[in-house]
Amino acid sequence: MVDTALGFIAIGAGLAVGLAGIGTGMAQKDIGAAAVGAITEDPKMLGKALMFMVLPETIVIFGLVIAILACFVLPGM
Amino acid sequence: MFLPESMSRIVIVGANSYIDETTDVLYDLENIHLIDHTVDADEGFTLGTPRPNNSANTERLLKVRGMSKELGINKHTKTQSISESEIRSQITSDSVESIETEVMAVTGRRNDLNQRITDLNAKKKSLELLARLPIDLDMYSGYRSISSIVGRIEKDPTQALAGMGEVYFDSNKKEGNVIAVFVKNDDKAQAQSILSEHGFSEIAVPEGTGSVNENLAAVNSELDAANKDMEVVQKDMQDLFEKHKHSLRAYDEVLAVDVEKGTLPIRIATTDYTFVIDAWVPAADAETVKQTIESKVPGTFVEIEEERSRKQHDSDEAEDRFKTAPTKMRHGKISKLFEYPTKMMSIPKYNEVDPTVLIAIFLPLFFGFMVGDVGYAIPFIILGAYGLKFAKNPDWRAIATVLFFGGIWAFIFGFFFFGEALGMHFVGEYTEGAVTYTWAGLLHLDNLHNFFGAFLMNGHGVGKIDAEYVGMLLRLSVYVGILHLAIGYIVAIYNKTVQHGFKHGFLEKGGQFLIFIGVVLLGFALGFMLIMNGELVEPLKIFGLDISINWHFSNETLLAILGAGAAFIVIGSIILAKAEGAMQILVELPDTFGIILSYTRLVAIGMSKAGMALAFNYIALGMFAGISPDPTITTNNGIIMIILALVVFCVLQLMIWTLAILSGGLHALRLQLVEFMIRFYEGDGVEFNPLKFKRIKTFSDKNVKEA
Repeated sequence: MVDTALGFIAIGAGLAVGLAGIGTGMAQKDIGAAAVGAITEDPKMLGKALMFMVLPETIVIFGLVIAILACFVLPGM
Repeated sequence: MFLPESMSRIVIVGANSYIDETTDVLYDLENIHLIDHTVDADEGFTLGTPRPNNSANTERLLKVRGMSKELGINKHTKTQSISESEIRSQITSDSVESIETEVMAVTGRRNDLNQRITDLNAKKKSLELLARLPIDLDMYSGYRSISSIVGRIEKDPTQALAGMGEVYFDSNKKEGNVIAVFVKNDDKAQAQSILSEHGFSEIAVPEGTGSVNENLAAVNSELDAANKDMEVVQKDMQDLFEKHKHSLRAYDEVLAVDVEKGTLPIRIATTDYTFVIDAWVPAADAETVKQTIESKVPGTFVEIEEERSRKQHDSDEAEDRFKTAPTKMRHGKISKLFEYPTKMMSIPKYNEVDPTVLIAIFLPLFFGFMVGDVGYAIPFIILGAYGLKFAKNPDWRAIATVLFFGGIWAFIFGFFFFGEALGMHFVGEYTEGAVTYTWAGLLHLDNLHNFFGAFLMNGHGVGKIDAEYVGMLLRLSVYVGILHLAIGYIVAIYNKTVQHGFKHGFLEKGGQFLIFIGVVLLGFALGFMLIMNGELVEPLKIFGLDISINWHFSNETLLAILGAGAAFIVIGSIILAKAEGAMQILVELPDTFGIILSYTRLVAIGMSKAGMALAFNYIALGMFAGISPDPTITTNNGIIMIILALVVFCVLQLMIWTLAILSGGLHALRLQLVEFMIRFYEGDGVEFNPLKFKRIKTFSDKNVKEA
């Protein structure tokens, strides 16, 4: 029984990171395409473009935090 | 330190006959930010015209740059510094023109030779093709009723042309087919159409007599002679480069200075007899600037018009061209290095806090915390120090700055807090079934325990992916975020206070701050009530000191905190609704939760790297080298596998190290630019840009005399 619960926790953690990753990817896809265009026109844009690229990573980091909480904190409760 | 330097606006008035002296003094002061005069801004004044000698100087500058390009002299060419007076006397004695004559003569010869070599090469190519046909050159032309068609062809047309005339065809798969067709003038069009169906392209037959091979030999010998001449010309060019590189670079610099000074009058107001210059100078230097200009140029008068206050009202009231006072950031040697991220956003306004110092504190701190590993920190420090010493490009310097200072913090966190290097703890007890290595176990150094145990957290350091510490690290990152954001909100209120007074400042930004405090209190109370059942017990020991957390809150206390939080949110929302409309509350509340939780990336990124390091170390050390994480089990693998393991170890660690720069650096920067600066930063200022020149290839005689 305990094993099943742990299994569900692991699936939940995986889903949290995986789905959040897909969300981040979808957002970064468009930003990345625009960023490459901007850098091609003006290489000085690299810094700003990189900055915009990491903006959606917040989503996957929230997913990661939830996964961490699920893996480390939930089993102890 | 936090607000940009205070600025004064001055007006310099003088007689037109002194304009050159005044310009020289303004450039020497290197402290004057010129305000461009606008047409019809003042009645009776017009924009000035360039100085009389300016067009001659511009022409000379163009000549010098043209010659530099021809000779391959550029900013990377190493040349000596020459005294300014010497260069000026050379320019006045027409040395630019005499060098131009020399250079033109050689480049003319070079261009002629280039043309000749190109022609000869084309002729050679045609002759090589024709040499494959048994026809002399003079046989191709000179007929009255016969036409010759010569060229390359893809397919053999002999069959199709049968009976039309004489056909000479040579087939060669490697070099292509060649054909010469002699037909009656009447049949020419028909022959051409047949040929074009077979992929024909015509070539021009070079003029000449005798056999093609004799002509080819003659062309070859002419080509050799031309190439030899070219070598001589190139040697001459090299000699000219060596002879004139020092003076040409110096002329370029001196003439560029003169041209810019000569066009200064078109930025200022003039009448027939006088000129008026408006400019910003740092308020602290205004008096000195006034005295210097008045004492050095007798025909001028300087008036300090105003010291611009930080009140927005004063800027808004001013005439258009005087509205924006320039921003001169005030920084020491170290904080100056961090101006780059601020400028990446925008130049701070004259009347707002320059966030550079705050970035200089938090950016390396966050980067260091995310890396938190001695093994990665040391290369960062070395690379950063190297970059700061040698890099010239501002982008590289900015990266080197973060690597160096961030590396120092990473070392401090790695050594004293996490106690790890290359993803492995220095010391620690082995637990059954774990795949974590420690340096003490790996190198069989039992004494490490005595050293590190004395100061590390709980005797072995904080494990980034250790269930024991995950909760603590997440809470710690949220607390750091709360502190960081609180600073941002306070700066926001301060900025508005400086610009419009405290009442306005509090009403505009205070609502958000109160909501933020409310959310923090609410989150704290709810966390304790729902997740931690009112208590937090964590045994912690660092540097031998017991700093264990042992918090117990009764339900009443937590409800009181909850109530206080809710009250803060309500008051904040009322203020916010008044300032920016009720809809803003709906945006602000979830946003505040979001930005606080966003700081958990400080731990999440550290953990993701620690997870990777754990896996990679196990692959290299466990799978290849056969070293068991349990230090009591000895290794029984051959030397080859151990060498292979070291190679794999290095490659995988290098990967984590590179990722640490990207993820650690970018996320640390993002927390500054997005979460933090958006709270208060407006930017869009104008950078203080004084009239000055950077001398590299010439030195001023004044300085030599003074020295």
